[in-house]
Amino acid sequence: MGYGGAQEQDKHKVKGFKDNETICAVSTPPGFGGIAVIRISGPQSFEISRKIVHFLPEEPETHKIYFGTLNSFIEKTAIDEVLVSTFHQGKSYSGEETVEISCHGSPAITQWILQELVSAGARIADRGEFSYRAFINGKIDLVQAEGVLELVESQSKRAIQQGLRQLKGGLSLKLKNIQSDLLYVLANIEAAIDFSTEDIEVLNKETLFARTKRAEETLGILLSTYEHGRLLIEGLQVVLFGAPNVGKSSLFNLLLEEARSIVTEIPGTTRDVVESILLLDGVRVAFFDTAGIRESGDSVEKIGVQKSRESQSKADVIFFLFDGSRLFSSADVEILRGLDLKKVLILGNKIDLFLESEDQRRNKLKAVLKKSDLFLNQNELDLFVQKKVLFISTKENKSREIVLNSLREHLTNNQLEDEAVISQARHFENLSRAADFIKQGNEAISHGADAEFVALDFKAALICIQETLGERFDDQIMDFVFKQFCIGK
Amino acid sequence: MSGFDFDVIVVGAGHAGIEACLAPARLGLKTAIVTTNIDRIGYMSCNPSIGGLAKGHMVREIDVLGGEMGLAADATCIQYKRLNSGKGPAVRGTRVQSDKHKYSAYMCDRLRNEPALSIIKGEVKKLILNKSCCEGVVLSDGSQLRARAVIITTGTFMNAVMHFGLRQVPGGRIGDDSTVGISNQLAEFGFSILRLKTGTPARLDKDSIDWSKTTAQYGDEKVFPFSFRSPKVLPLPQIACYLSRTTAKTHQIIRDNLHLSPMYSGIIEGIGPRYCPSIEDKIVRFADRDSHQTFLEPEGLNTNSIYLQGISTSLPESVQDLFLRTMPGLENVKILKYGYAVEYDFIEPTQIWHRLETRNIGRLFLAGQINGTSGYEEAAAQGFIAGVNAAHLVLGRPEFVLGRDQAYIGVLIDDLITKGTLEPYRMFTSRAEHRLALREDNTIERLKIDSERIGILSKTDQDKSTEIVNARSELYININETKIYPNQETLFKLAAIPTSALTKSVSLADLLRRAEVNVFHLQSFGIEFFNDPLIFEPVEIAIKYEGYIKRQNELIAQAKKFEELLLPLDLLYSDIRGLSREEVEKLCRVRPRTLGQAQRISGVNPSAIQAIMVFLKSKKSRQEAGFV
Repeated sequence: MGYGGAQEQDKHKVKGFKDNETICAVSTPPGFGGIAVIRISGPQSFEISRKIVHFLPEEPETHKIYFGTLNSFIEKTAIDEVLVSTFHQGKSYSGEETVEISCHGSPAITQWILQELVSAGARIADRGEFSYRAFINGKIDLVQAEGVLELVESQSKRAIQQGLRQLKGGLSLKLKNIQSDLLYVLANIEAAIDFSTEDIEVLNKETLFARTKRAEETLGILLSTYEHGRLLIEGLQVVLFGAPNVGKSSLFNLLLEEARSIVTEIPGTTRDVVESILLLDGVRVAFFDTAGIRESGDSVEKIGVQKSRESQSKADVIFFLFDGSRLFSSADVEILRGLDLKKVLILGNKIDLFLESEDQRRNKLKAVLKKSDLFLNQNELDLFVQKKVLFISTKENKSREIVLNSLREHLTNNQLEDEAVISQARHFENLSRAADFIKQGNEAISHGADAEFVALDFKAALICIQETLGERFDDQIMDFVFKQFCIGK
Repeated sequence: MSGFDFDVIVVGAGHAGIEACLAPARLGLKTAIVTTNIDRIGYMSCNPSIGGLAKGHMVREIDVLGGEMGLAADATCIQYKRLNSGKGPAVRGTRVQSDKHKYSAYMCDRLRNEPALSIIKGEVKKLILNKSCCEGVVLSDGSQLRARAVIITTGTFMNAVMHFGLRQVPGGRIGDDSTVGISNQLAEFGFSILRLKTGTPARLDKDSIDWSKTTAQYGDEKVFPFSFRSPKVLPLPQIACYLSRTTAKTHQIIRDNLHLSPMYSGIIEGIGPRYCPSIEDKIVRFADRDSHQTFLEPEGLNTNSIYLQGISTSLPESVQDLFLRTMPGLENVKILKYGYAVEYDFIEPTQIWHRLETRNIGRLFLAGQINGTSGYEEAAAQGFIAGVNAAHLVLGRPEFVLGRDQAYIGVLIDDLITKGTLEPYRMFTSRAEHRLALREDNTIERLKIDSERIGILSKTDQDKSTEIVNARSELYININETKIYPNQETLFKLAAIPTSALTKSVSLADLLRRAEVNVFHLQSFGIEFFNDPLIFEPVEIAIKYEGYIKRQNELIAQAKKFEELLLPLDLLYSDIRGLSREEVEKLCRVRPRTLGQAQRISGVNPSAIQAIMVFLKSKKSRQEAGFV
């Protein structure tokens, strides 16, 4: 066919097909290190990287290293001094055009760079995706392929577990709202197209535009939460609290010891509060060891106690330690009284010193707490003792896992419950894409584009939103049309 | 021919049956069509119109491939409309009203004049099955007709029951019996058979209507016939349709009598189409509306019968008498035929292949409403594809399947086979993910190569389509390659359009992409375009919407990778790691032919697609390494 071929007009870049997309991820182990390597693989690797790697030549050579300053695509500032290696298609690990950025090894920098790359058009790689691509492109052999199969398998199990549960309540609610706005708009557009001869009243352009504008704005706000997302920028703040000599420092050391290789000690800002950071499943967790609290006449110690109390106000989680080989004392109750109970997790330490069943320990603690007026009713107390109390021994390594697991649980369940915040790179990437499409759609509306072109963008956006929600696009638009309009000739 | 009476036998002479028998007959195969009622070949049992959005697209596709529907609709058109003419190019659709008797007569004539085709009056009672192969049919008089392939196109007639209020009458249409026997035989063979429902409105006597109370609606003056083979001028005189409405009184009567409706008293189990509800359905579901519009459509030039569009009903005759007379113009109306609902068997379409041959029984093809669709165009499209594939089977040629990126027909069949259907399936433009590429204007370009491969169209017709494509191509190149420069003469011409001046030289294509410029304006720059919309319209669209079309083409190219990855039919999904039990079950049932089709099965997740891909790849490299 002679006509129909086209040139130029590249503003509508096509996204949406997994295997053709350019992916990126940090390839070095998580945490602080001398350097970190970010790998970008896929047909647009050079093009996308160039948006932040300004010094990358027009036609990079393969297996060549370039040095220069990485610039932010979003904020127009310098990010880091980096080495950039380039690999041509067919000559890289994945078999695709590949760029590797070696930057300084701080999670803050790697996260920043990833975010820049996503904004420039890449997406975060799935687990094992580089290997998957290497396999598909014939770059790795059968034995290695077995490993890939396992990854794909675990991927699909995760996909099943994914969906709504993983999204925090507030976020999924906001997304559902955007979804229903898009469905509403698309139903109107499609009804106007497919049932134009019917006696139906579809909403006018302005009303629909108001909806899509609203969707664009909501999505924009959501996306900005990713940038300022507390989890990724500030991480989780955990304060260790308790009377002197209950084992706070031992716990602190236990928690951080094993992870020594991926931990950098940051000296506390004061002598009394020591801060140390651990990366837990990619989330930065800052632990604060505080001075033991007791009423004292000593003025220096008083200052320390004062600092301890202050540090709890900015904490997300308070580990309240007591000596589990003894009774929870009235002094403990008094300290507890000064804390925000919603943040508190009670850790009964030193259980190795006194053999007792966990139930017995719990019941004893319950009896003490019952005498205090800290809980409104029995139910609240029962729940607290059941959910918020752990018994550990800082002498035993397994206690470390017990404590870290409670933090993991906190991360998935409690964190940011009422706020709609995007904390996952995957969601960010999917939703950025949705936002792009909605923006394009809105531009198309304002340029007076015909309905079927406008629908193209909003439908693409809807599919991205539904993917994030763990739903699948399947004729929901027509269902909506039939619900909303009386159609039938 | 070694014990076979025919190469292909087609059972049923509706819109599917006609295309199904013409295709093999025109390819020179000895073909028979069996029908109980020769007077009703190509009969329009419901509305007297052909085309519509997405449906009109399919009529053009059938035409380019060598089918008959477009020619028949053009020849019998009594009102022409291009729907959505004010909207974008991809969603403009042609719809015509036809003189239903002339349409039927036209088709009957075509069938009679096809040398390789025999028309047999008779009722098919049974299929002749040999192992898992169909070898012919048995008629009610006991005679056997043996054939190398059989196509069933019995429409709404299988175990059909008509409902007039609470009264039930066996039959698929007034005046025609239902077909009993085949569906029971198929059920015995393990086919899953479900029930659907559809309905039709009353037909009214033209002379009893007070037309002054209705509003006339005329068709378009500009006509783009369905067929590129049709004359550019329609042969029949054009008439108007008339608009009327239901009133509050109509709704009251219907509400008061709902208990007499078989739908609302629970007698009808079959699922009806949501896009074509009965009037009682509309009134219940959209209770806040106090009026619904209806078109009074003449069923032909020489008939008194008026079709009452949008008012299908299964309420008893006495209630129809009452409520119809509450509508403006119908106060004294005489009813020629009452509306009714019909319930019928259909075969769950996930049990057939893309070539429309059934999976359980070889050499047996199903097409039309028996596969759960609704509409003449959907039926004809399937009839054509079944006809071609039956012929290919007999001739030992490969199967003929159209892609979703190629034709609405491809979307239709792939949807049916991959997803099945719960209601009578009707085509909408929104069902096509590549809608922007599937336009009416580029039908020839989309299907020309396939059409030539099939070889039904005569040499003359093929040359004609080549001529059209070449003329478009030439014009396209011309507009793209002609440059204009910002000189005095150009400025003068631009001001006359009017459009803004140029700062640098541009091609005429760039100029044409401006919203206010159309192809006629290019004449002043020396472009000659024969003044034929068949030529210049597609070119104008291709240039004006180039950006969007390009984007759509990129999406198609991406999807291709998955569409071209064939899945072995004997693939053991249970062996693939990473698939959930539900996914294995669904994949085993549908047995997708490509990875792309697997992707469209609802409940099959993206990770499953990745798992299948890895599995196939590792199997291949295992084989290459000599492991298996």
